[in-house]
Amino acid sequence: MWLKEPLVHFLIGGALIYTLFAWRGEPVDPASRTIEISRSDRAQLSLGFERMMGRSPTDGELDRQVDRFVREEVLYREALRLGLDGNDGVVRRRLSQKMDLLAAAQAETVQPSDPTLQAWYKAHPERFTDTSRYTLDQAFKSEMGQAKAQIAQLNSMAARDDWKALSEPISLPASVSQVPRKEVLDRFGEQFLAEIDALKPDEEWQGPVRSGFGFHAVRLLRRDVGEVPPFEDVRGKVENDWRTATIAERKERGYAILREAYTVEIAE
Amino acid sequence: MRKLCRKSVLAKWALAGAATLALAACGGAVDETQSGDGEGAIELAEYPDRPYWGDTHLHTDNSVDAFGFGVRLGPEDALKFARGDEVTATTGAQAKLARPLDFLVIADHSDGLGATRRLYDAPRLGVQAMGDETMLRWYDMMHESPQQSQRAIGELIAAAASGDLPEAMSDPEASKEATKEIWETHLDTLDRYNEPGVFTAFGGFEYSLMPGGNNLHRVVMFRDGSDRTKQVLPYPGLSTSPEGLWDYMDGYAEATGGEALAIPHNSNLSNGDMFELTMPDGGPMTAEYARKRARSEPVVEVTQIKGDSETHPFLSPNDEMAGFGVKGWELGNLPLSAKTSNDMLAGNYVRSALKRGISLEEKLGVNPYAFGVIGSTDSHTSLATGDEDNFFGKHTGNEPSVEDRSTAGQNLGTRVGRFGWHYLAGGYAAAWARGNTRAEIFDAFKRREVYATTGPRMTVRLFAGFDFSEEDWDGDWVKRGYNNGVPMGGKLVDKKQAPTFLISALKDPDGANLDRVQIIKGWVDQFDVVREKVYDVVWSDMEGERALQGNRVPKVGDTVNREDASYTNTIGAPELRATWTDPDYKWGQKQAFYYVRVLEIPTPRWTLFDAKRFGITLSPAAMADAVAQERAYSSPVWLTIEPEPEEADSGNDPDAPAIMDKNTDA
Repeated sequence: MWLKEPLVHFLIGGALIYTLFAWRGEPVDPASRTIEISRSDRAQLSLGFERMMGRSPTDGELDRQVDRFVREEVLYREALRLGLDGNDGVVRRRLSQKMDLLAAAQAETVQPSDPTLQAWYKAHPERFTDTSRYTLDQAFKSEMGQAKAQIAQLNSMAARDDWKALSEPISLPASVSQVPRKEVLDRFGEQFLAEIDALKPDEEWQGPVRSGFGFHAVRLLRRDVGEVPPFEDVRGKVENDWRTATIAERKERGYAILREAYTVEIAE
Repeated sequence: MRKLCRKSVLAKWALAGAATLALAACGGAVDETQSGDGEGAIELAEYPDRPYWGDTHLHTDNSVDAFGFGVRLGPEDALKFARGDEVTATTGAQAKLARPLDFLVIADHSDGLGATRRLYDAPRLGVQAMGDETMLRWYDMMHESPQQSQRAIGELIAAAASGDLPEAMSDPEASKEATKEIWETHLDTLDRYNEPGVFTAFGGFEYSLMPGGNNLHRVVMFRDGSDRTKQVLPYPGLSTSPEGLWDYMDGYAEATGGEALAIPHNSNLSNGDMFELTMPDGGPMTAEYARKRARSEPVVEVTQIKGDSETHPFLSPNDEMAGFGVKGWELGNLPLSAKTSNDMLAGNYVRSALKRGISLEEKLGVNPYAFGVIGSTDSHTSLATGDEDNFFGKHTGNEPSVEDRSTAGQNLGTRVGRFGWHYLAGGYAAAWARGNTRAEIFDAFKRREVYATTGPRMTVRLFAGFDFSEEDWDGDWVKRGYNNGVPMGGKLVDKKQAPTFLISALKDPDGANLDRVQIIKGWVDQFDVVREKVYDVVWSDMEGERALQGNRVPKVGDTVNREDASYTNTIGAPELRATWTDPDYKWGQKQAFYYVRVLEIPTPRWTLFDAKRFGITLSPAAMADAVAQERAYSSPVWLTIEPEPEEADSGNDPDAPAIMDKNTDA
């Protein structure tokens, strides 16, 4: 069934033509000894100059651009005519890369339909999930014993009392509200985050929770586990993800099709 | 070279494919907030409430030298890695950052952007047909083995330094078409990964001017998305001048309405040329040059893999902590084609440049070196690793699979004594911003509200004013700091009274405790002598076992287990805070600056982690340097005698948040 893929025709056709030229050398025909520099070629050279220098080239400068182009073209054609591009490991590698690129190109340009993307979105919800968000209060002690005592004290306090005054001074936020997981990691560190993830949200003070700074009494008010947003909100992300994955898959599939036609014998 | 292979029929198709590919990327699924500067895209904090961490100096396989060194990871992998995804390093190891970064500037060399890659990819006979023996030799070396490839790049850097690059590589005309293609594809990739509020991907490149091997490199960073950055190409470093670069940046701003800034780095390898007292041609510095430089270069990269440029023991003989990351690098310029003599050092290091800046300001009325500081990696592996235990090496030839990397000589100046262990693990940049967008982080750089670390993520705050006190710590001191003073990077106008500082240093939550916090003051005294002094401001256990002995702070100790490459946080403090008033302030002193240096307790360097990981024995010299006190440097606050004549001269960003504008003349 793959033989009906236009992509496959493209790939095989390209490979055939390349092989022909690479092995036989390009025949000399008079036309190949003519180098045409069209107006648009000149415009292209001029534009290139302008992009770099921020101004148009003078006539002399443009002539030098053309001379350079012609020189390269002449040498390039002669090199091809002499078959210099054959039997070269780098040519092999480069061309095989370009085959990959060709296989990928279609996936780069195609506009996937909504049903395609929706199916992708449903199949890989974990890739589009929002970050978890945390709402918590914390009071700090540098010693474990004090931290335990502090928790008891905090839990017996009246609501109107200033619990923040019990914390030892430290330049960490006493309260954070709906902050993303990464911010908890950045501010409090890996150990704190891991211990918080093991707690259940509660109005009571819990802990002590350990961090690189010391010990924290923590009131974990909310932990909103990230949800998968509606498709419409993440369509762009889904499309990017679909494209990246499809490109990789196409390369493999393109190769598999071609590979199938070969028998490989490896000497013992 | 490119044209040599492009006309084969298949190659032509492939190229057409590549062109449509680029188009697709433009019209792809990138929304406007991703491709712009991020203004208005997210809700901002009232004032900068946390530091955002980044690397402004990362190379990928688009850099001539990185590709030659062996890296085969491109910008996309670099972005994925920085934002926290797992990637496979070139040598095959799986790599993932435990704590993702907030922003990244991919700074591939503008010279020959993608050129090594194109050379490598070209057919050999095509290279031969070009008739350049050097190119052909490099080509062969690159294909022979990874070791030879690194040697080829060593030669290439040396040739660039001496101005002997083959025309095909040095001539921007010859490669502009390829450059344009690479640049535009790159900018589209950046936009796709740029997510306001989550991760910021900046457009940028490295400007690699290196006359005679003296390193005058800058990283150029754009505030804008591809809608503006596509209107220019990266500015070439070879055979141009920094003034040309600043003109280019001004031209960009004028033509697009965008903004760019340049970050000098590795001044330690410039043989005195980075921070001169004169014009580059030796004539007296003009106010115009100074103004232009200060405006274009508000921030300098003070620490990175190729050494630390804060100061040198020769320049700061009374600073016991001077000399971090100096060994090896102090010997000469970048390729070690010329040695460094003591008279060059003042132009090599940041502290002396800050001193030169205030002294020049006395003469010119404008300070050319009024810059803030950041750290970065300058990693050539596409991996922005800054920690000692995840050091991926300067380049791919040095990734962790190379077991003797700490003892092997380096391609840059091996014969004269630079060794693997001289490399640092690389630093990071911290930016005090109100949110994570291109605009917010860039503006923090512009107003110099940034700081450098040698890798650990300490949180460092600095406010300067005239009426701070110990009581400020009891309330919302950050808000008070902004309302009654200036943050790091700011200017305070002298009020005939000693300035007071609120300083807080919080340890890296997953790192080592802190030893001490110091203030480094530089000033022009009443006799026009430029001076510096280091003050120990606050340290751990300062009222207990580490009480002052005479004028000296007792050492913090050392818990590093050399066999095990481990340490414990049983010494040091999680946070150090102080309200500090300059005890030596005298009315009559002229321009002055103050910056903070925070020291961690001693920890193992990457060399010790390597020794443990691979079971190898370090040389005595490497072993002696296998434990270090990592550090953070804040941007300075300047104490100036009179208000600046023009707002434009202050180097302050006119778009800075209002809360800070109010304070510039507080």
